[in-house]
Amino acid sequence: MHVAAIVAAVLLAAGAGPGWQAPAPEPITVSAAVSLTDVLQEVAAAYAQNGGGTVRFNFGASNTLARQVVEGAPVDLFISADEAQMDVVAKAGLLDAASRADLLANRLAVVVSPEHRRAFTSLRDLLDPAFKRIAIGDPAAVPAGVYAKQYLERAGIWEQVQSRLVPSASVRAALAAVDAGSADAAVVYRTDTHAAKRAVVAWVAPIWEGPRIIYPAAIVKGRPAAAQARRFLDFLRTATATRIFEKYDFIPVESRPR
Amino acid sequence: MDVWHVTWFSLATAAGATAVALPIGVPLAWLLARARFTGRSLVETIVSLPLVMPPVATGLILLMLFGRRGPLGRALSWVGIDVVFTWKAVVIAMAVMGLPLLVRTARGGFEQVDRRLEQVAATLGAGPARVFLTISLPLAWPTVVAGAVLAFARALGEFGATIMIAGSIPGVTRTLAVAIYSYAETGQDRAAVALLAISTGLAFAALWGANRLAGGSRA
Amino acid sequence: MVLAFQLTQGEFTLDIDERIEAKVTAIFGPSGSGKTTILDAIAGLRVPSRGTIAIGDRLLFDSSASRNLPPQHRRIGYVPQDVGLFPHMNVRRNLLYGRHPGSSPPLDRVVRMLEIEGLVDRRVPQLSGGERQRVALARALMCGPAVLLLDEPLAAVDLPLRRRILPYLQRVRDEMALPIVYVSHDRDEVRMLADHVLLLDRGRVRQSGSPAAVLP
Repeated sequence: MHVAAIVAAVLLAAGAGPGWQAPAPEPITVSAAVSLTDVLQEVAAAYAQNGGGTVRFNFGASNTLARQVVEGAPVDLFISADEAQMDVVAKAGLLDAASRADLLANRLAVVVSPEHRRAFTSLRDLLDPAFKRIAIGDPAAVPAGVYAKQYLERAGIWEQVQSRLVPSASVRAALAAVDAGSADAAVVYRTDTHAAKRAVVAWVAPIWEGPRIIYPAAIVKGRPAAAQARRFLDFLRTATATRIFEKYDFIPVESRPR
Repeated sequence: MDVWHVTWFSLATAAGATAVALPIGVPLAWLLARARFTGRSLVETIVSLPLVMPPVATGLILLMLFGRRGPLGRALSWVGIDVVFTWKAVVIAMAVMGLPLLVRTARGGFEQVDRRLEQVAATLGAGPARVFLTISLPLAWPTVVAGAVLAFARALGEFGATIMIAGSIPGVTRTLAVAIYSYAETGQDRAAVALLAISTGLAFAALWGANRLAGGSRA
Repeated sequence: MVLAFQLTQGEFTLDIDERIEAKVTAIFGPSGSGKTTILDAIAGLRVPSRGTIAIGDRLLFDSSASRNLPPQHRRIGYVPQDVGLFPHMNVRRNLLYGRHPGSSPPLDRVVRMLEIEGLVDRRVPQLSGGERQRVALARALMCGPAVLLLDEPLAAVDLPLRRRILPYLQRVRDEMALPIVYVSHDRDEVRMLADHVLLLDRGRVRQSGSPAAVLP
């Protein structure tokens, strides 16, 4: 009798009984650029549905995020809006260097207020005097602003439009300016155009022409939940995740060793 | 739904921050009002710093102190306490930003207490602690409370330092101010405006209350 | 009582060197001569730059020995010029504030001596000028002091009231075996209360002796 009870107990404990639950995987903390807020939350939901664990996001400006990692904040995975900030963390020796890879790419777009609605044939259409105020992210502070400036310089029109530029605290603020009518045009990320209320897309920078906008991702070294972070990072490259990224107009980058 | 959680979280952490700031700030305000000690100007200046420094800079200093590599962070993690990216970081950031307001306001209240009364109490046998608790504090009470309310209001509106040391983690460290920023950045205007209305309403009530209290003591 | 010290505040220097045996010592002089400063120094509220202060065999201050007893340990009963009743407490709590189980006189004795029985449960703002003086006096007595310091106790009180409070001061003088130091600029009061007078002028004692001798 006792033996049977023990055997039954062991079997139950080993999972022979109904209602067996796998132990919950550790939650991970992912620091990611603000522009990835909506898309990553949808990806994390898909991850959970596919048997993945809990992902806690910390969205912010990439330079703030990098600073936090460097000072020892409990971050498991870092997805930056530009390579410079990822380099900051790498230089502090805190990245699992082998895990670093370019995750996504983005493109710039020009949005205009509905009154000036037209389809550009090139970026130079921005020189039209109808665009008296052109909003961009502040090139001194915001990656999107840096990219916008690069793009305008490469097109050779930076000097001419400079006096009409309105630097904004963030790229979303630049978009909002056009929505509100306080700017006639703005240079934003293509992925931001979904949030436009009145502004219309006039131009999307072709891949060969625009600046290389890359979102690198890397696992932070020495964290207890590194395995879970790896699982999530791998999930970001699956077809499910890719579809969600493309839905938001992000461009998944092919996985290749750096 | 999320809106109410964020509001409740902000009120709770702001109240916690005020509760943390009070036992430090009120005695400090009294010391600055009454005592003359070496290093007094230094203390005055350090306490006022968070008022004039950019909040992000204050947040950075807190991060350097409480991060895993920082002196306080290391000591705390030996005892198993993690601060960064938790509600504790929110409370600390709020307390640090609210403390100067509390100290400056309360100090004014203590300076208005008739010094003679404190001196008479001393001659009657009361040591400094008893004088503080039975004479100075009760007589400066309305102003001290006004200072606490101001600190609470400041804590509610705190953003720059909080986001640096507590991050913006939905459901874990998102305060009203941080959530408003986040919603505005991702184009969720309705949620942002709803939180904005709540935030403004709370700030208004707090300031109005503080003014009434401080004004009442002058009556 | 030994009062031998120097105290400088800004441009004003108080320099005093007196040994006093009298029961009631009056400090008499014009305003600004340093009368209140002497009381503050005895009470420990102001610290002399150098010198000695002793009451009986108790050394309160001695700069050469770095001894400076804080006010709460000096057992001083002090009634300041503006009376200083605690406005947020009623009379009873004011009276009991300095009570020391070992050395305080019984409350009803003091209350009866100063005839403030009916006031004990009143609040401070409800008291008249004369009542406040008596309550402040009673409060100082209730801490069982070794010396009583009174700073112009009747200055803010009008003449008829003064005549009525004076007997209380005399009663205190006679019934409590306490040395009293009494600051005043009223000759009549000084003559009626004091055994010894210090004439103070611009920080220095110009004359010292009996009231008859010092105040003609």
